[in-house]
Amino acid sequence: MVKESIINILIDEERCTGCILCKLWCSYIHHKIFNPLKANLEIKDRYGLAPKIIFLDTCIKCGQCVQHCLYGALRLKEEDN
Amino acid sequence: MELKGYTGNILNVNLTDNKITVRKQNVDDIKHFIGGLGINTKIAAELIKPNIDPLSPENYLIIGVGPLVGTITPGSSRTVGTSKFPATGAIAYSCGSMSFGFQLKNAGFDHVIISGKADKPVYLLILDNNIDLIDAKEIWGQDIVESTHFLQKKHNNCGVIAIGQAGENLVKSSLALIDRTSTFGRGGLGAVMGSKNLKAIAVKGTLGVSIANPKKFNELFSNLLERIKNYPQRESWHQLGMMRSLPVGMLLLDSGQKKKARQCNERFYLRKLKKRRIACPSCPMGDKDILQLQEGSNSGLLNYTSSIINPALMFTLEDLINFDEAIKGYDIVNRYGLDSLTITSLLKFCTILYEKGILTEENTGIEWKTDYNTLIKLIEIITYRKEFGNLLADGWKKLAEAYNSIENEMLTVKGLDIIFEPRILRLGTMEFEQVVNPKGAHVASGGSPTYIGAGSSIEKFNIHFSRMGIPKSAISRIFTPPLEEMVVNIGRLTRYSEDWYTVLTSVGLCARAQMNRFYGLESTTDFYNAITGYNMQPEDLRIAAERTWNLIKLLNMKEGFSRKDDKFPKEWFNPLKFGDKILKFQDFFGQTIITPEIANQLLDDYYDERGWDKITGIPTQAKIRELGLEKFQFINN
Repeated sequence: MVKESIINILIDEERCTGCILCKLWCSYIHHKIFNPLKANLEIKDRYGLAPKIIFLDTCIKCGQCVQHCLYGALRLKEEDN
Repeated sequence: MELKGYTGNILNVNLTDNKITVRKQNVDDIKHFIGGLGINTKIAAELIKPNIDPLSPENYLIIGVGPLVGTITPGSSRTVGTSKFPATGAIAYSCGSMSFGFQLKNAGFDHVIISGKADKPVYLLILDNNIDLIDAKEIWGQDIVESTHFLQKKHNNCGVIAIGQAGENLVKSSLALIDRTSTFGRGGLGAVMGSKNLKAIAVKGTLGVSIANPKKFNELFSNLLERIKNYPQRESWHQLGMMRSLPVGMLLLDSGQKKKARQCNERFYLRKLKKRRIACPSCPMGDKDILQLQEGSNSGLLNYTSSIINPALMFTLEDLINFDEAIKGYDIVNRYGLDSLTITSLLKFCTILYEKGILTEENTGIEWKTDYNTLIKLIEIITYRKEFGNLLADGWKKLAEAYNSIENEMLTVKGLDIIFEPRILRLGTMEFEQVVNPKGAHVASGGSPTYIGAGSSIEKFNIHFSRMGIPKSAISRIFTPPLEEMVVNIGRLTRYSEDWYTVLTSVGLCARAQMNRFYGLESTTDFYNAITGYNMQPEDLRIAAERTWNLIKLLNMKEGFSRKDDKFPKEWFNPLKFGDKILKFQDFFGQTIITPEIANQLLDDYYDERGWDKITGIPTQAKIRELGLEKFQFINN
């Protein structure tokens, strides 16, 4: 099921592969280090049957994660229009 | 100076005396051996004494990751394990992926050296600097999926390398799985862990990885990501994963198993099998599967696999009727920590011996068939070393000793069963590599243009040669085969495929064709320099790879291996009945039949291209000096 997040990003968790390209880029661009724990989004159960993508309160809505999701799990809302 | 890309730390764990220490990496080692496979090999050369029993406390298990691991560099999640392998007795390596290497780097370690033997089953837990050996009584005897689930639940989704019952029972072909998905340790790394009473290694890191030159890195990364985004086949890779790589349905069709072929097509996979696609950290080409059977007697069964090809190859067992039988068999194999390729080969081979009257119900307790019940029986008796399974658990060499008339019919090299059959696939570097790889019939030539589907024209060959960093001076030799009509000299080309593979495996990049096709020696060097801050030249990386491969060879020379062991399976020179067809051992372009004389010439050419002695098949003094490996030549003698 495609969900709409608070930051104008469509989330399709079924397409998430757990590659964490989004989290790695987020931590790198905002904290200058590759560290998924510093990313502003979380992926729970990323190698399980039903991963959950959650944007944290620290997210500044830059949309960079979307640019780095190659599987279509994160898309900007405009892209669907 | 603070290292970038590297953590600079090597963790030492002595299981015998429960001693855990950390030492710093030597910068000279980094420059000479890069990391991952390279530095693992250097450590093995310093520590593993010749002619030890691989299952004794004297053996070491060395785990390493390269400098690119932990960054966002696409496809950089490789973990390398080095040890003396019990299936063949060779000092060699094996690779896996998923999250273990990524977590190890985040915990602050490039390598882990494990020695000795614990006095009771334990698992090693690494949580940054908090490192402990923990009683494994709750998971010893459990399968890999159960053990991994237990550890990930207890330790916050850590990366896990775990063995199953086969490793615990010292089955010589047993392996481990990373995160219950990625195979790690073909050739008996599972038994090495079992012999040390080491059920698993769990790691979780919080430290992150910083790099030396972000500006340069950003430029390289954004260019590469754009290329990957624009790759026309990307969508179909995402959809089909490894199903794209080998058309098993065609294989079944050609082998005369038409009804079964329908169960191995893309439609069946997408509708009836695929549950989820998963990817290693940083991988934009995710090709690993969570499968779930939608129908049949095992409906609902979940299976985690690093390659759908493995259960599909199991399905080539003639008497398996439905694909769900192969998935179920494969799932048990994975859970126990066996090697699905070896189990499949063993069942085929034992059935042939049974038909010939060499194996009987009386001497084995089994009426051999390639059907589901026999497959399950075989898995059980090998894993738990019951009855005839006890002999099979000791590997192909012991089987050959027990029935000495059968060795010539075995499709093995140095005691390991082949993966690629050249009578079906013709002779590319993947097939040839199985003969010369120091480990046995293993493959270390991903990225070569003879890789399945990578192209077959001279133009494509030249593009790949340039990408792999093959020196221009070698090109004319590579295009000089024993017979003109063969076009390409696979012996000479294999040397450079191995070098390219070693570069990838030392920096930490994936060697699967769909990922490494985006890299060349030059761009890999650029990433390496941007991440580490060093100023290496592409040729420096290639020479470091060559140095590593020569050192692996030198180590195995001490174990008694030489040209006499680089043997083409005799059976390859006989015709293979395959469905309605009779297939013969042909060159890559299908222009000529490979005879023993041509095969020997290709071996000569491989050694010549490597700078090794043609008679003994080992590095010459000149090559050892050129690579600065003199001190390893007599080490531990």
